[in-house]
Amino acid sequence: MVTIERSTEQINQVVSALKERIGDKVLGVEQPTPHRLYVTVAPEAVVAAADALFNGLGARYLISAGVDKRPLNGGFEVLHFFAFDQANVRCALVIPLKGDPPRIPSITPLIPGAGWAEREFKDLLGIIPEGHPDPRPLVLPDGFPEGLYPLRKDYPYDYKPPLDRSKTFPFKEPPEGTTVVTVGPFFPVLEEPSQWRVFLDGEVVVGCDYRGFYNHRAIEKLGDSALTYNQIPMLAERICGICGCVHSTSYCQAVEEAAGIEVPLRAKVIRTLILELERVHSHLLWLGLACHILGFDYVFMQSWRIREPVMWLAEYLTGNRKHFAINLVGGVRRDIVKEQHPRILEVMDKVERETKELADTLLNDMPLLARLKGTGIFTPEEVRLTGAVGPTARGSGVPIDARKDHPYAAYDLVEFDVVTHDGCDNLARTLVRVGEIFESIKIIRQCVKLLQELPEGDLMAELPEEIPPYRHGMHAVEAPRGEVFHYVLTGENNRPYRWRVRAPSYQNIQAVPVMFKPGTTIADVPITLGSVDPCFSCTERMEIVDVKSGEMKVLTEQELYQLSRQKTKELREKNTQ
Amino acid sequence: MVDSKVKQLLLALRAGKVTFAYPFEPRPSEPGFRGRVVVDTDKCTGCGGCADVCPTRCIRIIDVSPTYRIIRRYLERCIHCGRCEDVCRYGAVRLDLEYEIATTDKRDLFIEQHLFMGSCSRCGRCYVPPTPLDRLMVVGFRKDEEV
Repeated sequence: MVTIERSTEQINQVVSALKERIGDKVLGVEQPTPHRLYVTVAPEAVVAAADALFNGLGARYLISAGVDKRPLNGGFEVLHFFAFDQANVRCALVIPLKGDPPRIPSITPLIPGAGWAEREFKDLLGIIPEGHPDPRPLVLPDGFPEGLYPLRKDYPYDYKPPLDRSKTFPFKEPPEGTTVVTVGPFFPVLEEPSQWRVFLDGEVVVGCDYRGFYNHRAIEKLGDSALTYNQIPMLAERICGICGCVHSTSYCQAVEEAAGIEVPLRAKVIRTLILELERVHSHLLWLGLACHILGFDYVFMQSWRIREPVMWLAEYLTGNRKHFAINLVGGVRRDIVKEQHPRILEVMDKVERETKELADTLLNDMPLLARLKGTGIFTPEEVRLTGAVGPTARGSGVPIDARKDHPYAAYDLVEFDVVTHDGCDNLARTLVRVGEIFESIKIIRQCVKLLQELPEGDLMAELPEEIPPYRHGMHAVEAPRGEVFHYVLTGENNRPYRWRVRAPSYQNIQAVPVMFKPGTTIADVPITLGSVDPCFSCTERMEIVDVKSGEMKVLTEQELYQLSRQKTKELREKNTQ
Repeated sequence: MVDSKVKQLLLALRAGKVTFAYPFEPRPSEPGFRGRVVVDTDKCTGCGGCADVCPTRCIRIIDVSPTYRIIRRYLERCIHCGRCEDVCRYGAVRLDLEYEIATTDKRDLFIEQHLFMGSCSRCGRCYVPPTPLDRLMVVGFRKDEEV
């Protein structure tokens, strides 16, 4: 457990390091809580400041956010967020910008993980990151009118401009003599519509290109222009179909931090319990789907069978099997009463026993291990550069876990271990997830015990008449796939002025190209992508374009699975000989 | 290898058949489930609190005159979060246990309510202050302009 002294020491260190490095370019320091730091720096010093934090002090890059502050002070603002995981400190570099279009030196050459975030504020706010190595559009659809920026305050949230259909996306040129395999636009492994172009030399992957955001839903825009504080949790929950509760919890915590609301302990324990329930079902779902890709449908069926009682339990506790709608700013909506406790424990016992049996058979299966071991190598240094989070990072032996590093809800009251593995490959990431199921069950049992001790009924904090405007709040929750980060700048009219969401996949998908190490074959592509993110729906089709002949071939879902499963079969035969 | 295959077989055999015969046999939902929205029009006072908290804005309010209010619920947009049930002080909105509400005609999910309001002759609102709206501490009360 990190003490407040340690956090204060870290914050002092950060401030003095920045002052030493960039001197009077530090325009202001704000420290709203002992664990948060906002440093305003001049635009020209941003790269030096980011370097001092990222390389000098070993901070982890979180995300960047752009804010249109023209109605308030006539300019724009960019925030780069960093975390100091050993000291429970999160820090933001606030960069005020003038002029239109505003310009800011890019930090992507220094921190590759910032690539998307900078492209995003370029698309949505028109803030130009100067010196960005890959300034192609990211979020906006093809042919979106130039000079229109949807996240600016003068852009109505329901305006739909006409698109110029003649424009196409500038994909990367494939290297000479390679074949391009297009996966998508509806991606077979991840849950989102996204397009990967994998460059192949024979069967071996030599590079790839990504295009995503086909289904951008403008959730941040809705949050800061149409909805009110207590309507947003229901929308936040729908950011992800599998781990929704993490988003609403993270959002509520960010607002509570900005407004200085102290949530009752019982509500915190209930949040913890629901979050862990979500992790158990999400990891079981992932385990099933990962094995399904590899052709182990037996595991797919069994792990989903084990998962189903968890879904029923969630429905019993919250009223819905997936969208729990349990969080509001200030607390939770439903109590978990004494009569419900025995059933929670009963389901947990059953899930623990059955998962143990399944994991036991699974991890002794030689062909399965051979498929997972040694593929998708991801080193700890690459984790740092790309900003990958969650089991993806922990599978490379990097022990970052927001539950331990930045305790929220009731995680400081329960005991659990952060599961890490040094394998750095697909197997390591699988083992981390299996291990986490048992840790989650452990936490749920402790939560039930805490609920038994606490008096029933105290669920909502007394809310202030109005949430004070223009205050910062940032909070993160450890989702099944990694750290979910929400930043809220409170505003007037009972809604946030700016709400920034970073889902874990935002960083993890950026890490995928790094995982395609020399020697990776096309059959390993689905599982490597799958090892990052546990959703594999949306299978539509894939397309093979032979660069030399221009001939096009369409691979169906079946053929893609065929490729992946053929390799398993070959391995199995080799093994039995 | 063979050992693990035998274990897998045993695990699958022990689990047996887990599929339910639904829809050929009923699967009632458990207490606490957030299902179909039911409105008890006798209890509704027309305060509009539900319209104000609804995240999907599927409840619209039209004031034809100071004493005549129409509340329309476009429940095809409802996400069953149950916030309307939470804020209704009079128990007029309830989410029951029924979940088989899928339909091919969205008009099946439409509820229109006509309320004749006894308004306060001084302020034109229906109650002496604090009104139910004030008690809900709502900001940004929404009205639908179209009639």
